[in-house]
Amino acid sequence: MFFDLYRPYTVHFITPEGEKIDVKATEGDTMLDLAQRYDIELECACEGSLACSTCHVICEQEYYDKMEEPTDEENDMLDLAFGLTDTSRLGCQIAMNKDLDGLTVKMPSATRNMRVDGSKPTHH
Amino acid sequence: MLSRQLQRNILKVAAAPSVRLSLAKQAPRVVLFSLRTFSNTAQKQNASTVETLTPNSDSLGFETTAIEKPGRPIYLDMQATSPMDPRVLDAMLPYLTDLYGNPHSRTHQYGWETERAVEEAREQVAKLIGADPKEIIFTSGATEANNLSLKGVAHFYKGKKKHIITTQIEHKCVLESCRVLQEEGFDVTYLPVQPNGLIDIKQFEEAIRPDTSIVSIMSVNNEIGVIQPIEEIGKICRKNKVFFHTDAAQAVGKIPMDVNAMNIDLMSISGHKLYGPKGIGAIYVRRRPRVRLEAVQSGGGQERGIRSGTVPTPLVVGLGAACKIATEEMEYDDQRISRLSKRLIDGIQSKVEQVVRNGDDVHTYPGCVNLSFSYVEGESLLMALKEIALSSGSACTSASLEPSYVLRALGADDEMAHSSIRFGIGRFTTEAEIDYVINHVVGHVNKLRDMSPLWEMVQEGIDLKSIQWSQH
Repeated sequence: MFFDLYRPYTVHFITPEGEKIDVKATEGDTMLDLAQRYDIELECACEGSLACSTCHVICEQEYYDKMEEPTDEENDMLDLAFGLTDTSRLGCQIAMNKDLDGLTVKMPSATRNMRVDGSKPTHH
Repeated sequence: MLSRQLQRNILKVAAAPSVRLSLAKQAPRVVLFSLRTFSNTAQKQNASTVETLTPNSDSLGFETTAIEKPGRPIYLDMQATSPMDPRVLDAMLPYLTDLYGNPHSRTHQYGWETERAVEEAREQVAKLIGADPKEIIFTSGATEANNLSLKGVAHFYKGKKKHIITTQIEHKCVLESCRVLQEEGFDVTYLPVQPNGLIDIKQFEEAIRPDTSIVSIMSVNNEIGVIQPIEEIGKICRKNKVFFHTDAAQAVGKIPMDVNAMNIDLMSISGHKLYGPKGIGAIYVRRRPRVRLEAVQSGGGQERGIRSGTVPTPLVVGLGAACKIATEEMEYDDQRISRLSKRLIDGIQSKVEQVVRNGDDVHTYPGCVNLSFSYVEGESLLMALKEIALSSGSACTSASLEPSYVLRALGADDEMAHSSIRFGIGRFTTEAEIDYVINHVVGHVNKLRDMSPLWEMVQEGIDLKSIQWSQH
């Protein structure tokens, strides 16, 4: 994309199937913003209002330690996430900054929005 | 259903003063029960005996007549279960009848009213232990809570931490959970206890490793009533960034418990151990610093996703009511139970020699009195004391003739472990019952000792340990 020239940071998404997608980000972009911008299948049932756990992503320990502590509200939603790990975060709550340049986030194999028929969620 | 004629005959017999008197003499105590007979005019004319008992008529046209019946044994097994407080039943009844909505139904009044009741109960449980209501997760009891705490934490952090610490005198469900985790590759340290049942704090601190994920030590032991130094343990765990779980089934509602003052991260609670209903319990899971659990049960994500499944409103309301009563009456109960406990111990020890109290004399819950009667087989004493409901160990293992593993951990030999009896005193135990128990225990212990050749030899000054017994 043309505007990628003005986006200084790189983020690596790993899909549930194991495919690696590299995207460019600017200061303040959330993982959810990036997923929607680059058409990555990261769900977003509550549209980033911190009321669901569908944008759950798993971060690398090194980068997880650089992030701000999750709030109680985010933790409460993470409790409901499928395949939770101790480096799990909600994509809508991770905002990019220079410390997170090169961050790799792994998307879990499923979400609480149960779909077993193979259909994919679409962004609103 | 009893036939009308039979009901009438029962009432006639029960009404006769001589019969009532003889029944009262036979039984250790007299228990009232209700017999309901259908009320109509014709029956009233025929059954004059019913009139003499001045029955109360209820809204359905039934007459409730209290009659006396030969008593059941005196109940002194409060560590196995406690009777439900009538006030708890009162709180539960509406949710067993009219208010039957699913508390997770968000679209109508039936769901809203039961959800409100569940949340109120959550607050009542939280208040009793100084927690935030959001930190209370309802379970089916303390066994599930213990399983969930240990397996949940161990599995969640298994990538980094594979070590668990517990004690040798924990409840079976904790020890079994640890054994399962051991088979999965986790490393478990079973701390020994001192002869008084308390852990050695220094030894505990030395057992903590960098890969220790959770420490599980019970607050009050169910067999000997010993109270572990929970506050000290909590401080050490917090300092070492290790999660601290305590099985508080025998402690909550009986001794003051404060999860923040004691640095407790996870706590198991049982409803039927604090005069609430069976089949309900709770687990306290700290939110800050956050404790993460891997759910054992998958489903609709109820109870913060930790324990899926529809919450049983009547039982939860019962647990809440039991906790509310405990919050208000714990101090009074404790004073009363302490007095009865002292009366029991002094009464027995003043009349019977060579009686040992198992556990610590100071750091102990007074409602749990475990006594070993030297040269008396515990099972024989239990059989002799048919009119008193007692136990020789935990209810889970009282059917096996293995000596108590708790008493073995205290260093008691098999003979002493086999001669122990647990007396459980509770909110509804009376002084008269304690006096009755003292007299019967003393009488039966002396009788059994009179039959024992070992006791005779000891009386003659023979050291039994010096005897070479021939093998059969």
